[in-house]
Amino acid sequence: MTTPTPMADPSALLDTYTLNMGPQHPSTHGVLRLVLTLRGERLMKVDPVIGYGHRGHEKMAENRTYAQFLPNTSRQDYLSGAIYNFAWCEAVEKLGALAVPERALVARVILAEFNRIASHLLWVGAFLLDLGGWTPSLYTWDDREAILFLLESVTGSRLTYCTGRFGGLSRDLDADFPARARVVLRKLKDRWQEYEDLIEGNVIFVQRATGVGVFTKAQCQSYGVTGANLRAAGVPYDVRKVEPYGAYPRFQFDIPTRTESDAFARYWVRIQEMKQSVRILEQALEQLPDGPVLAEKGLGSKKRLRLPAGTLYYAVESARGAYGILLVSEGGTEPWRAKFRTPSYPNLAVLQDVMPGMMMADAVAVLGSVDIIIPEIDR
Amino acid sequence: MTTPAGIVARLEANGWVAAAPTPHPMTGVSESRWIAPEHLVAAAEAVKAAGYFYESMSCVDRLEALGGFELVNTFARWDAPARVAFRVLVPKDGAAPSLTGVYAMAEWNEREAWELYGVAFTGHPNLTWLLLPEGTEYRPLLKSFTAPPPSPYDDSLTSPAPSDG
Repeated sequence: MTTPTPMADPSALLDTYTLNMGPQHPSTHGVLRLVLTLRGERLMKVDPVIGYGHRGHEKMAENRTYAQFLPNTSRQDYLSGAIYNFAWCEAVEKLGALAVPERALVARVILAEFNRIASHLLWVGAFLLDLGGWTPSLYTWDDREAILFLLESVTGSRLTYCTGRFGGLSRDLDADFPARARVVLRKLKDRWQEYEDLIEGNVIFVQRATGVGVFTKAQCQSYGVTGANLRAAGVPYDVRKVEPYGAYPRFQFDIPTRTESDAFARYWVRIQEMKQSVRILEQALEQLPDGPVLAEKGLGSKKRLRLPAGTLYYAVESARGAYGILLVSEGGTEPWRAKFRTPSYPNLAVLQDVMPGMMMADAVAVLGSVDIIIPEIDR
Repeated sequence: MTTPAGIVARLEANGWVAAAPTPHPMTGVSESRWIAPEHLVAAAEAVKAAGYFYESMSCVDRLEALGGFELVNTFARWDAPARVAFRVLVPKDGAAPSLTGVYAMAEWNEREAWELYGVAFTGHPNLTWLLLPEGTEYRPLLKSFTAPPPSPYDDSLTSPAPSDG
């Protein structure tokens, strides 16, 4: 860009004006405010204002037992709640060296991958809505609904799942779950071509999404951008592959990447990721072992679980990128400290560097393309 | 050397590693070391040059046991299961060096540690509230903090209930 950036030259701000995007703007998908400094239609500076939904999850974690914190986990990222719920269980299991039955490990993968597809489907619909495309969201909502029914039959929840327990799951998959799951997978596989025709065949969408909001690898390194946003920048980083956890090492899947790093590349990577999740699910349903799903009933709650003193960092791949938990125990029944490294946090922060220089109309396309969830930023 | 072992060897050769103030181990990382605060920026520059990305920074209240705050910085690689943790002990009322000049994301993480714990960072360009309302004076994540003072935005206890008429 030839426009001077305010970082390099403060006088560049002299004939500018300020526009508040949010906190109630529909395209911020939650309570986020972007203070945009503009010259004409061009963005000079972007200041995200966050914290509207700060609930103090990290303080809450210090004031309740490990088991009592379980419901909080899925309220950080409400779109991939199962993944966060299992991450908390796995972190506690790791620090406490607790065993997990084989069936629970595979069942967690099944629930987590369905959750990932549901999250991506909602994102595709919402992203297209941001850009003025109504129709795709009707299709993605329909598919997501089928997954939510499936997850509801196991977890009892549609959004804030809390099925994870230390040492397994609170509920088993029903006998007919694999059959019902295969019906949903069949439906999804029939959809991919329809999505491609509907979305990628739309000239307006392709032109609005192509070439905007390019993240450089240096920016990704400096901010810690992860997930589909990083993979769209050509880096095949996925915690499921780089640091395999749970039952993931036993399944075959690829990491789709793209090098353009624009909004379209991020869209494309997420579509491919859903196909890879379907691949994982087909293998997991095939390999689902028999046996118990819980090592010991009431391990977390009844016995007032105590973990040995120590510090653990545990990372998983959520629908938005690398989710990390820093868990510190001093040997008590409550965590001494729990810090959540949520992927949307850096994914939003990087926009301060990426957005200056672009046109105002592209701001919505770029903000929509990074797939941020405000509650996990505010925690 | 870009492996975690190589990074640690370099830290030790340069004398940047500090004695561990607590015997508790850190797991889930390839290597973790306590770093002397004055060498943290140099250590972060070395780990960045080796290709690591900024993963997280967490502050832990260790006032009672160690008389200060523990900052845990973690850095990881995109291409290998490698994670290094730099732990720093910041004395109460002391200040930690800011990593904002090395990794841009440190800006938000350090603002968070400042508003929630009161840890000061030298060299931070904009040390102000991030998650809490501007002007908040309490430090909610301190262990000594138990109940929040009444919110200035909540008048439900002081104002009369609205009438239906």
